[in-house]
Amino acid sequence: MVQTNPGSSIIVVCDAGPVIHLDELDQLPLLNDFSEVLIPDTVWNEVQKHRPQAIELCRQWAQKVTPVQPLSAKLQATIQLFSLHAGEIQALQIIEEHPTDLFLTDDSAARLAAGTVNVKVHGTLGILLRAIRRQQLTRQQVVSLLKAIPDKTSLHLRPSLLKQIISEVEDSS
Amino acid sequence: MSIPVQTQLPDNLINQAQELIKAGWANNLDDLLADALRRYLESHSLALSEKFLLDDVQWGLHGSD
Repeated sequence: MVQTNPGSSIIVVCDAGPVIHLDELDQLPLLNDFSEVLIPDTVWNEVQKHRPQAIELCRQWAQKVTPVQPLSAKLQATIQLFSLHAGEIQALQIIEEHPTDLFLTDDSAARLAAGTVNVKVHGTLGILLRAIRRQQLTRQQVVSLLKAIPDKTSLHLRPSLLKQIISEVEDSS
Repeated sequence: MSIPVQTQLPDNLINQAQELIKAGWANNLDDLLADALRRYLESHSLALSEKFLLDDVQWGLHGSD
């Protein structure tokens, strides 16, 4: 069971990747550390289809959000430039509409596109490692989770890069 | 060197592309499609994906939020 450390005032908008990957590692409650977790309805439905148990957990502390404004001209151009998927498009719409501190996605194109809406972006790996400094997990627990990524998750990482990351986590203090 | 490619594309995409060409944003459809593919490959490159992962490591371990 993940221990949370209340106090973060960060509002996050989530893409499907981090929700699915954290759930594959049984670490979805790490997101409960944020003050608000907003999940676009397209992402919500996508996760519900592929990983219904994750949505049952999300119901406890996340909000399903639907954008109300039409796409801005800036976002329309961005979407075409980066070939974004429906969930990523809605996430950027929501970021334009709501004050948001952090966008969580594991998609490179969505990360690049997020630059146009001036929001900080991180992914599954960042949330796992942040759990050490937020005292949600120990360093040893996070190292075990990183080692489990290839077998337990659909997050693709080059093996030598994962090894490098694990070494960096073990050596950090 | 260029390689001929035969493909099926949605007509609305081709129509939008033709409008951009008419407006002078690209010389022709070949140039426009090559530019679109180049931009897609740039935004999905392995090096970029790995840079983002390493950014995550730095933020996760040493960030302040």
